[in-house]
Amino acid sequence: MTWLKLVEGYMPMQMISELAGSILVFALINWTLNRAGMGIPKFWAGVGVWIYIQLYLKYRIYPPIPFSVRAIYGTVSACGIFMWVSGSEDAWQEFKRPVMNVMDGISGFHKGMRTVALIVIPLALGGFAYNSFLPSFEEPIELRTVHPAPPATTKVHGKTFVLQVVENPYRVNNEGKYDQAYTDARIVEQAMGRLMKDVNDPNYNPWDPNAEGYTKYVREGGEIFFQNCHFCHGDNLNGRGLWAYAFNPIPANFTDAGTIAQLQETFVFWRVSKGGIGLPGEGFPWASVMPPWEQHLTVDEIWKVVMFEYWHTGYYPRTWD
Amino acid sequence: MSKSRYGSNLARWGVCLTVSVLLGLGLPLSSGAQEDLPEGFKQQGLPSPPPAEQIEAGKRVYFTKCVWCHGVEGAGDGPGAVRLWPRPRNFNAGTFKIRHTASGQLPLIDLDLLQTVTHGLPGSAMPSWEGILTEQQRKDVLAFVTTQLVQDRSWQDEEFEELFVLQLDQLTPKQNTPESIKRGSELVVEKKCIECHGLEGRGDGNAFNLKDDWGFSIQPADWHKCWNFRGSRQDPYNVRNIFRTFSTGLNGTPMPSFADNTSVDERWDIANYVNSLCEREHEIPAPQGQVSDQTAQAFSTALPLPIDPLTDKPKSNFVIPSKFVEGDLPTDENDERWKLVPRRWLAMGGQITHKPRNFVNRIDDMWVQALYNETHIEFMFRWDDRTKSIQEDEVDWDPTEVNLGDYGVEEQAPQGTTFAEDPFHQESIAAKQKDGYAVYSDGVAFQFPVKWQELPAPRKPRYFWGDERFSVDLTKWTADGTLGVYEGTGWDQDLTELDFQEEVEVVKAEWANGRWTVIVKRPLKGDYEEVAYLEAGKYIPMVFFAWDGHNGDVGRKMAVSAFYYLVMEPQIPLTTYVYPGLITVGIVIIEGWVLGRRANRRKEKGQA
Repeated sequence: MTWLKLVEGYMPMQMISELAGSILVFALINWTLNRAGMGIPKFWAGVGVWIYIQLYLKYRIYPPIPFSVRAIYGTVSACGIFMWVSGSEDAWQEFKRPVMNVMDGISGFHKGMRTVALIVIPLALGGFAYNSFLPSFEEPIELRTVHPAPPATTKVHGKTFVLQVVENPYRVNNEGKYDQAYTDARIVEQAMGRLMKDVNDPNYNPWDPNAEGYTKYVREGGEIFFQNCHFCHGDNLNGRGLWAYAFNPIPANFTDAGTIAQLQETFVFWRVSKGGIGLPGEGFPWASVMPPWEQHLTVDEIWKVVMFEYWHTGYYPRTWD
Repeated sequence: MSKSRYGSNLARWGVCLTVSVLLGLGLPLSSGAQEDLPEGFKQQGLPSPPPAEQIEAGKRVYFTKCVWCHGVEGAGDGPGAVRLWPRPRNFNAGTFKIRHTASGQLPLIDLDLLQTVTHGLPGSAMPSWEGILTEQQRKDVLAFVTTQLVQDRSWQDEEFEELFVLQLDQLTPKQNTPESIKRGSELVVEKKCIECHGLEGRGDGNAFNLKDDWGFSIQPADWHKCWNFRGSRQDPYNVRNIFRTFSTGLNGTPMPSFADNTSVDERWDIANYVNSLCEREHEIPAPQGQVSDQTAQAFSTALPLPIDPLTDKPKSNFVIPSKFVEGDLPTDENDERWKLVPRRWLAMGGQITHKPRNFVNRIDDMWVQALYNETHIEFMFRWDDRTKSIQEDEVDWDPTEVNLGDYGVEEQAPQGTTFAEDPFHQESIAAKQKDGYAVYSDGVAFQFPVKWQELPAPRKPRYFWGDERFSVDLTKWTADGTLGVYEGTGWDQDLTELDFQEEVEVVKAEWANGRWTVIVKRPLKGDYEEVAYLEAGKYIPMVFFAWDGHNGDVGRKMAVSAFYYLVMEPQIPLTTYVYPGLITVGIVIIEGWVLGRRANRRKEKGQA
């Protein structure tokens, strides 16, 4: 199923714009048909749009969203449609006419429909009630805080780091001074593929034999990443490593704008050093398999691998101001 | 015109059409056969060399994305390689596994290699690059790899290279009828597939003596996990992938091409059989690879497991349902009552949180089922393991000890840059896979939180043998016959034996044809302060662990699962039937009332 690009995770922007776009198309079609004198009855248009939204939420989004969330969207969209059909007295009369016709049984067909509805509605609601009373054991939903508040200080390998003050010692310019602008200019391009800017320039290619300083440290960080981290976070740092399928919570996707891109580098340093077990309670420290990397890496290695993650995804760490 | 005459006309047309289609298909194939090509192959010209700009563009892709595993010279020795098995491809010799071309030949760049980069190689660390690199970028990097890193051969070498291409698009897969599957099951014996892949196709036939072209240990594929086939192209249950691999072989490995000694028809039968062995929702037993008519029928109609598009593995369900049964619990895996309850697929990853980390886990999944009666619960674990491993020499440590670093149980060192200087990479995991590890015992274990009823939701004891505040009870079986129940209070804290272990029983533990079946029975209740008190209708958190002794797995070096929930399904209460009935009656009354009022109003309007 590679022809259909699914909405991955909960990407609200994509979902809302797709829904809004399709509603716009429906409105256009409806308007054109009305102009051509072939208008769709308001009742069916309203019901149709509502069913469309439900089907969209159920089948377009992956991983699937739980029923309770769909129910909320369903109610909100029903309210929206109700406001549309009851915008004026005429519109409201037009909307409810098919329902009233069936209730009044104005013709043989409508009488038949009424009989069917009288039988189907109690059965359907009774069946729905039976299903909800039947003991069922769906996977419980447990909401976890992905970026909990960091502590003020953290102690790694016997040294205390004040997170608001400390700087990555390897994020340096060619004079050896901390320089975020210098290093930001050397990360990969924020375009499809996220490729390095120039493969033949030691300023940009960490694998160039003449690479020095920041660029060389990126390579050293990458070596650590590809010996330790890619098993879960993946060869493209997108959280789709070898064992991503086995673990829950799933590994973080660094290429997503919602992870390292919106965090300070020192926050990442703290998360990497302390791992899952070092999270506060809202982060579910008991479930995360993220290693406390202080058990496996030196402080220098952690700084380098954090820097590599920013380089490879083309993101800048957030600054404190 | 009568109906029957119309029908026979249609049949005649159908025969004509079929014959002409067959002729159309057969002509190019038979003309190929005249040049001594195997059935289904056709010769194709060599590709033209890529332009220099494309090679340069590909170099940029390669040094951003690929170099980390495949290395600067493309020798498969980047920094990632030391802890990988299967190892990253060494491009230098131009040896590629997944191809449409005949055995020993170069692959098609724009088909085989492009598909590999696009879909990745499941079961290895090579990911799918679709959606990450554009198609143009993927083609660019192939231009770089095939011209600059493949050094011993060339796609432009008219003298030595030719391409005989399997015409897979023009072949129609044979329907997977029971007859075809049955014939396939006989052919895999006749063609000696089972010598390596094992009687039941779990890859256990010749697990230790096979090597690839570079001398590294390599294992035959496990046909029961098609989602791990390297050539599965993100479409694991597609029989064409198996047909292709079987027709062209895997260069650089002991897997030969069977194009010369099997007909196309036979190859479809084998592919159908191999495909039918890939796991389905319910187990379809074919012990010793014996396929009865009934089994073949079941194979031909079983639906594939749903595959998760995010991971390309079967979808996980974290709830393990257990059903109540009357009387004694089953004594073996053939008890009909196991069919009452679905089996769950447990995804397993290497334990990489604490030392010694397990970078290569040879157990990547297990199947579990659970049944319970008034007093006991029984778990059946089944998992594929190519080797039965039982530790022979006595070890120095106690079963309750967990910190085995002092006894020399260590993780793979990173090697760093010295790795590339060692031409045979003797210190890599891939090199150690053959004889590098001391053999320990296989094993399986599961943990429950003690006093889970009192845990403040969603708090659980840590997945790794509990923590200081919340302890777990860990039931662990090892292949040397020990079954213990221990209290766990943390990943680095020695376990404590519990008296409860006297009441736990291994009902069955058997390794056969590359698979363990272990059935463990334990009382629902023990000392409330010491062991989990299992109750129906509740979500009880569980974590699973597994050890493969031939992988050097022991202590913390193991495979581990995420949290799952055991749910012992209670009997259905009476209210389930009563309330919906009441609701239905209520709706009928409301309907009557609404219609009555409507009719009255119309009448009033009419009178007015």
